[in-house]
Amino acid sequence: MFRKILIANRGEIALRIIWACRELGIKTVAVYSTADADSLHVKFADEDVCIGPAPNRESYLNVSAVISAAEITGAEAIHPGYGFLAESAHFAEVSRECGLTFIGPGPEVIRRMGDKAEALRTAIEAGVPTLPGSGGVVQDEEHAQRVARSIGYPVLIKASAGGGGRGMRIVSKPEDLGRLFDAARQEAEAAFGVADVYLEKYLPEPRHVEFQILGDTQGNLVHLFERECSIQRRHQKLLEESPSPALDAGLRARMAAAALKAAGAVQYVNAGTVEFLLDTSGEFYFIEMNTRIQVEHPVTEMVTGIDLIKEQIRIAAGEPISFTQQEVTVSGHAIECRINAEDPVTFAPCPGKIRSFHLPGGPGIRVDTACYAEAMVPPYYDSMIAKVVAHGNTRGEAILRMRRALESFVVEGISTNVPLQQRIVADEDFVRARLSTRFMERFLPAEKRPAAG
Amino acid sequence: MDPKELRELIEIISRSEFVTFELEREGFRLRLVKGNSAPSAVVSAYAPAPAPGPSLPNTEAAASAPIEPAKALPAEPGIVDLPSPIVGTFYRTPSPDAPPFVEVGSRVKKGHVLGVVEAMKLMNEIESEIDAEVVEICIASGQPVEYGQVLFRLRPTL
Repeated sequence: MFRKILIANRGEIALRIIWACRELGIKTVAVYSTADADSLHVKFADEDVCIGPAPNRESYLNVSAVISAAEITGAEAIHPGYGFLAESAHFAEVSRECGLTFIGPGPEVIRRMGDKAEALRTAIEAGVPTLPGSGGVVQDEEHAQRVARSIGYPVLIKASAGGGGRGMRIVSKPEDLGRLFDAARQEAEAAFGVADVYLEKYLPEPRHVEFQILGDTQGNLVHLFERECSIQRRHQKLLEESPSPALDAGLRARMAAAALKAAGAVQYVNAGTVEFLLDTSGEFYFIEMNTRIQVEHPVTEMVTGIDLIKEQIRIAAGEPISFTQQEVTVSGHAIECRINAEDPVTFAPCPGKIRSFHLPGGPGIRVDTACYAEAMVPPYYDSMIAKVVAHGNTRGEAILRMRRALESFVVEGISTNVPLQQRIVADEDFVRARLSTRFMERFLPAEKRPAAG
Repeated sequence: MDPKELRELIEIISRSEFVTFELEREGFRLRLVKGNSAPSAVVSAYAPAPAPGPSLPNTEAAASAPIEPAKALPAEPGIVDLPSPIVGTFYRTPSPDAPPFVEVGSRVKKGHVLGVVEAMKLMNEIESEIDAEVVEICIASGQPVEYGQVLFRLRPTL
């Protein structure tokens, strides 16, 4: 096992990894930008190294600075968390060359599954269902028109290197295709440096259901069931839950088998997530695999009782997964609400100084956060300030616990989306589990109506 | 001794009444001598060489390098701090056997190399941005530095 791990991240996930290391008896090194000098991950790590100024590119995304920090502190492994360098094959490669263990899959797998067109090809070869589409990069508009005709409108244009909804366009009729194809390519180029896009069938009311996977270096591969993350705004998840209310035992088993097939195709090692779109008909389609720990991992931890970060570290140290597939069971229901420092109506980010801060607690509530009273939420990074997770014996109990948790979550000094989350968990469609990735679309206009009179 | 421990120790000593402080552990010896703006002395050596690249100059050469935490000292008027632009390991010499780039009291022109910071096996030269006299070398050769940590204090010359 490692003696010292460097955490190449900030905020709640950096703290989450510190807690796991504490429990495993591993020393921790925090890295931080000058904007984060007073952050809790710096305070609670055993050592800390300032790696650069506030902008990401010069600090948290600065490969050389992170590696140097590991070298001067004698860290043996690096946990990248999520975001920043978590899915950088280059960073995983450099870590390895410098004799540091990257806690995640190897650079080859990150590269293969990080490229969406390549990931889709891998899934198809493994016999995992995928959305009908171009099956690879679409070179020009004429090619796009041909593909769109064959799969039928509406179609979705997506960036090969994409994520977070950038470089993505829905096209409902042929005459819009040319314009939107160019727009998606330009956006992809600006966001990822690669203009490549591909085309696939667009499902009008899909649910987002993903499976948590763990693989070890001995070749064991297990799944930890699913999370439903249909509640999204602009492809950014807002609320996640496990288990998905849309799955029965049969469908769950079929989707889990497909997820294992996709991960098995690349001999997946460490934690990963296989994402599917689930159509109203019960058909499901592989969309991508995330080669990192995810923001919403706590809902899986709450229902399975398995600590995913500790498993990641053990696996990276060469140990086998500490349980078998048969030992993974789901107990009750968990829901996570992402709390962002943003205006609950306009969604504009709202950085600033937190004046007072009170966390919810009580039975079944877990809050992952790095915020505190008097903390600054810097404007340079992600606006997520906390994750509130509610666990109950049933989905109904989890919802009730989430409602009272949100009521007692007090943040003063900055605006948060707590009021928005309260409206979501009080919504009738949510309570009846009538979900799709268009939930927020339906929900927000409905919220506007009373305001308009 | 890890860098954090060392920093904390130096901070405690610099605030104390002690003028000299010596610590000996297995394979490790540390000697701190306090001075004002005059060259003070620090002897610091890891038993196994801590890192590849230029090895530590001998203890005599390092004797003029105080490694007090620069930020803890009050800024003297007219003195310019030169912070490290990157994380890495600081070296005062271009190679293990070579003499230091500068000593306290050296007069340098703008662009003169004062030291190097090694990051991922690359030597990054630290240049003076002004014509100046070296007043203080804040870090001992071979020691880790953070981004923004003060390496040199310079008095601008006309």
